[in-house]
Amino acid sequence: MHEWSLALSLVQTLDRWALENGVQIKRVVLSVPSPAQLDVSILTEAFDTLKRESRLEQAKLEVRVRSPRYRCRACGYEFGQEEVDQQIRQLMGQYGEEYPLHLIPELLPTFVKCPRCGSHDIEAELSIKVDEVETI
Amino acid sequence: MRPLLESAREKLRRRKVVAVMSGKGGVGKSVVAALAALAKPGSALVDLDLEGASAPRLFGLSGRLHEISKEGIEPLEVGGVKVFSLGGIVGDRYVVLPGYGQAGAVEALLAFAKLGDSDPVVVDMPPGMGEELLALSRITDFLPVLVTTPSKASYGVVKHLAEYLAEIGKKPAAVVLNMAYVDCGGSRIYPFGRGEDARRLAESFGAPLYELPIDPSLEDYVGRIHEYRGPIAYVVRQMVEGL
Repeated sequence: MHEWSLALSLVQTLDRWALENGVQIKRVVLSVPSPAQLDVSILTEAFDTLKRESRLEQAKLEVRVRSPRYRCRACGYEFGQEEVDQQIRQLMGQYGEEYPLHLIPELLPTFVKCPRCGSHDIEAELSIKVDEVETI
Repeated sequence: MRPLLESAREKLRRRKVVAVMSGKGGVGKSVVAALAALAKPGSALVDLDLEGASAPRLFGLSGRLHEISKEGIEPLEVGGVKVFSLGGIVGDRYVVLPGYGQAGAVEALLAFAKLGDSDPVVVDMPPGMGEELLALSRITDFLPVLVTTPSKASYGVVKHLAEYLAEIGKKPAAVVLNMAYVDCGGSRIYPFGRGEDARRLAESFGAPLYELPIDPSLEDYVGRIHEYRGPIAYVVRQMVEGL
């Protein structure tokens, strides 16, 4: 369900931006971190529904799901998504529909520990951001 | 472009945002914020004390999760106030976050909060002058309400916060001197001194000072703060009306 609120936020923000700049939007590249576990097909469907009668009417949404690199600030260990996948799966099982990283991926350090030392002091790029906007 | 930051900005653009803050912990910010929201029908309360969320406990919402709808985070409504808290996202568990996580959580909470026509939006700030304060400043202009106790330990920190706020062009809308006095048969006893430092601070910024009494009965209302009608609520209401 959260994909709809994210798509709404994206469409409203870009529509305002397009209006201010006097352009129409043709293509949007949205970058999301994989721990958010967003459903790209629902996100795209929501975007395509919400963009009607806006300056994004002709826009195509591309979603880049990126696997973050992690660094533990306590022990310095650097690791990839595959080393936290098990913890993410457990968390999803625990929360189900209400999985918190779905809504706020930056909460990851609250739930995930460094696979080497067990610290929560984990650094990563976890924000949802617009990477590219193509206009006409 | 950060769509959530932009959404949060847009969402708060035409609303009055009252940020209850102190710099010092344990001075009663959350109680003041809760009573401030309750004092004005149609208010929202956003708990940005991410690691020490008190709003769920004060309103008896601990462990209750926000519903997430197509339009965002549905509020938990108590006493006519729309309450939003990270506690409603993670449930009854600890939260530990580095700065970037705090910024992301502040932006997402405000971007997705389904505020409806709520106005004002009262924000319960955490102690300290860390990422939450910087994040809120990036998102919106706000009216700072500073809370202190008569203790020098509290006042010194609050003074630093006021000086920082002045540097970024904000002056306190009100200074609240909490735990100021005990009402004893109609006469006021000031067990911790008269709070002259706080009074001078308020005067130096041209802000009104509101003294809150110590009311031991308040503890009975933790979990049902919306039912509290005691003297603290009375003064906080006056404060809100003066904003």
